[in-house]
Amino acid sequence: MGAFETLKKYKWMIPLLNKADRDIKSILMKNMRSKEKNFYPEGEYKADVDNLIKCMLCPNMCRFDCGTLQASQTESMSPSYKARIGYYLTIGKIDPTKEENSDFIDFMYKCSNEENCKIWCPFGFSVVSLLETVRDDLNSKGLTPDYCKEQIKKLEESNTIEGYNIYDTYKEHGIENIETEGNDDVFYYIGCESMKFPDVIKANISILQKAGVKFSTNLEKKVCCGGPSFNIRDSDTAEKFAKKNQELIESTGAKIIVSDCPGCVLTLTKRYESIGIKIEKKIIHIVEYIKQLLEEGKINPTKNVPVELKKVTIHDPCLIARNLNDTASIRAILGRIQDLEIVEPIYNKEYVHCCGWSGTAHWADRVLAIKEASNRIDELRETGAEVFVSACPLCELGLNYGINPEEKEKFKILDVSELLVKSL
Amino acid sequence: MNIDDFELIYKNNRKEIKNKTLIKTELSEFLGEKNVSIKNADLLAYTRDSSLIALNWTIQGKIAGLPDFITWPETKEQISKILKLANKEKIPVIPYSEGSGVVGGSIPIYGGIIIDMKKFNKILEINDKNLTVTAQTGINGMNLERYLNSKGYTSGHIPQSLYTSSLGGWIAHRAAGQFSTKYGKIEDIVMGMEVILPLGEIIKFKPIARAATGPQLDKMFIGGEGTLGIVTEATLKIWPYPEKRTLISYSFPTIEDSFNATREILRENVYPAVIRIYDVHETDRHFSEVENAKKRVMTVFVCEGNKKLVDVEEAITREMCEKNAGINCGTGPVEHWFETRFRVTETSTMSPYKLVYDTVEVASLWDRAARIYHSVVEATDRIKGNLLITAHVSHFYANGVGTYFTFGGVPPKGVSDLEFYQECWDSIIKAVLEAGGSIAHHHGIGINRAHWMKKEWGTAINVMKDIKKLLDPSNILNPGKIYEDIWKGGVE
Ligand SMILES: Cc1cc2nc3c(=O)[nH]c(=O)nc-3n(C[C@H](O)[C@H](O)[C@H](O)COP(=O)(O)OP(=O)(O)OC[C@H]3O[C@@H](n4cnc5c(N)ncnc54)[C@H](O)[C@@H]3O)c2cc1C
Ligand code: SF4
Repeated sequence: MGAFETLKKYKWMIPLLNKADRDIKSILMKNMRSKEKNFYPEGEYKADVDNLIKCMLCPNMCRFDCGTLQASQTESMSPSYKARIGYYLTIGKIDPTKEENSDFIDFMYKCSNEENCKIWCPFGFSVVSLLETVRDDLNSKGLTPDYCKEQIKKLEESNTIEGYNIYDTYKEHGIENIETEGNDDVFYYIGCESMKFPDVIKANISILQKAGVKFSTNLEKKVCCGGPSFNIRDSDTAEKFAKKNQELIESTGAKIIVSDCPGCVLTLTKRYESIGIKIEKKIIHIVEYIKQLLEEGKINPTKNVPVELKKVTIHDPCLIARNLNDTASIRAILGRIQDLEIVEPIYNKEYVHCCGWSGTAHWADRVLAIKEASNRIDELRETGAEVFVSACPLCELGLNYGINPEEKEKFKILDVSELLVKSL
Repeated sequence: MNIDDFELIYKNNRKEIKNKTLIKTELSEFLGEKNVSIKNADLLAYTRDSSLIALNWTIQGKIAGLPDFITWPETKEQISKILKLANKEKIPVIPYSEGSGVVGGSIPIYGGIIIDMKKFNKILEINDKNLTVTAQTGINGMNLERYLNSKGYTSGHIPQSLYTSSLGGWIAHRAAGQFSTKYGKIEDIVMGMEVILPLGEIIKFKPIARAATGPQLDKMFIGGEGTLGIVTEATLKIWPYPEKRTLISYSFPTIEDSFNATREILRENVYPAVIRIYDVHETDRHFSEVENAKKRVMTVFVCEGNKKLVDVEEAITREMCEKNAGINCGTGPVEHWFETRFRVTETSTMSPYKLVYDTVEVASLWDRAARIYHSVVEATDRIKGNLLITAHVSHFYANGVGTYFTFGGVPPKGVSDLEFYQECWDSIIKAVLEAGGSIAHHHGIGINRAHWMKKEWGTAINVMKDIKKLLDPSNILNPGKIYEDIWKGGVE
């Protein structure tokens, strides 16, 4: 709230305050002036203390939609408690340097970045963005948790999210590599997480080829977008990856960068810009691009999909729904597939619940992330559909973890491209 | 972290638990390791409820109460076993759901075992023919309501804390939703319950529309505040989602005119779902831009349900408002209320300035409603340091109303936050009792009002105490609430 809104909001109080005795007025004025002295830490810090305080004093108005809280069902996982811990760690009420306090530090990472809170929060906060400012201070004190350091190590050693270069596996999975000739229409930017789903990549390549798009994949040169380093707030690593990607993207000459991973789209755009690196290209998620191809008539779904895939429900990836604000593309694509029955889950579009596999929560607490995934699976099952369609490799990974091993055969998690390609 | 770094406010009654490790092991045996914690990181999360004074303590690094164990049972049998163990060891047990209570109800002032009910979050059945839903009581209000809405129903129970409170908490505190004029308070909505008694026995009151099966024993657990039993399951009335909603607002010269208009509407057996009367200060606070409401008393109405009925309700509502000097203010003020009703920002903005404030809701019959309003305002205005006392009337019945006061100020030199807070609370309650009202409408008793219970109930409180003793001979279930004078301020 800006100063003007604040003034307007509390204007009604002025006549009441005017009535007060002088000594009371002077106490009030002193309290007003001393807020920072009374409650803010001394010295240098990056934590967003003002907003951490607001959040910790809020009666948890977003709690019902917080994925990690709903997964754990413990008060300790509630958004406002996390903010309270963030505040106490910042002012030193809880000393972050003490080994015994590592549980408190972990709360700063037990968030799946789904940002449902933002929808309901009267201040428009996303709790993770508050926690990230606490992570900044933890990093500068050398207190980055080991599970985060491990991710950075992987990035440094393999340039990808795995302990090995996952892009090297393309041949064994039969994925076609298309090197750039420097003048492509499209750079199909395959995320490292997507490499775990070769069928999705093959489907996307096939769709782009059928539409006659001139594109490259550059798998020999590909590196991670650096997304994990942004979550961990390791700015050096983040910058290194941003520069590598900028160079690769510019070398393709492509007009449009199309990624199969919403996390990559977010990182290549808003997150790079947050560290001062702007890639002057159109960077979009592949569902948006495929929607355009359908609209332009470059591809035409005419075949029926197999009968066991006819009834589907949609799991909107949070990043596409709430960050890229696009819930239409995936529905437009599915809407073009003949005789497909689409059953919407209760929590859909911008109100979707997370798959559990975003942010840092799945590193900090794998059991928690799996529970979040299984909660989402329960919501999808409620629709009666046995095919769950999404458009994000992390969602597809997370949802997979959420299905009981004995039910893996019953339910299918598909990327929208896998379904579309069957109808072309 | 040493939890002693946090100054403990309610420390005088804390029970010393000697064999903690053994008890932890016993709890883990039937709850599983994952459902018991003695870690500081968990204990700290259960050291307060949403009482506004507790927010001042939070920013000052103080805690209201300190539990010894946190448990997250998943079955009623597990709750029963916790209670049996607690009785054997004489350890307090505190039911806790979402912690949105505002009278200290879930604060573990004696220490002990927290039973967090959040894992009781399943919706068990919707019955369309009976118009009922049966759910476990740990379910969050919004998650219950959203589910009902998705199936075409509403429970009609929409408290401002919908997003942050549970079915069990509503039952415990006899809560009221904003739409209560039409749908009733929670005691009108609950039809059946499963309760676990303090000694661990599990009892069930089957859902019935109405019956004549002896005294209504089940009602005793509605408003029990977790002192008489733990409610694990409840069957509630539901309604088809309203077909039509009509928004109406009028401003009146005085609160008395507004009372007359609303009373006359209800006399006709017309029940708008929402009625809210704002006194002059609150009208200025929320509707300063409404020209027709300047220096007047804003009153908003929402009529909802069957289209034909809503149209009739609207006509009668308008007729009574206009008859009582009401000026039509259009739909704008009601739309504004809909937009802002869950946007709670005040709790976040007062404590950093060391302001002490709170809300106190009270009940009364019609013939003394205006008197109560005026005497509370007068009495609280006199308190040194108090800067504001305002009210809106938020709940309406054919026979009376619920009025919701807000006070706020800064403690004068030498007076602590808690002392000032207690003084304001006591002044309001005293004025209400003297004017013939009842001390609570929907937030409950908890710690803040316990010392007034004798005045409120008269000798009947002795019967209540006897019942408590019978059900809970070792006083293990939520001690320090309702029956005990923790504030030591009870005015004779
Ligand atoms: C911003 C805000 C707005 C509010 N608006 C309203 C409103 O409009 N109407 C209203 O009525 N109240 C309102 N309240 C008060 C509060 O939300 C209610 O008292 C609510 O009923 C408490 O529910 P809870 O689940 O948070 O309970 P808690 O705070 O966790 O517990 C409250 C009490 O219930 C007991 N308890 C909890 N679960 C059980 C159970 N299963 N069995 C037995 N005892 C149990 C606890 O021991 C405690 O005594 C508001 C509070 C806030 C912070
Ligand atoms: S994110 Fe917003 S709504 Fe959620 S707890 Fe924090 S302040 Fe409250």
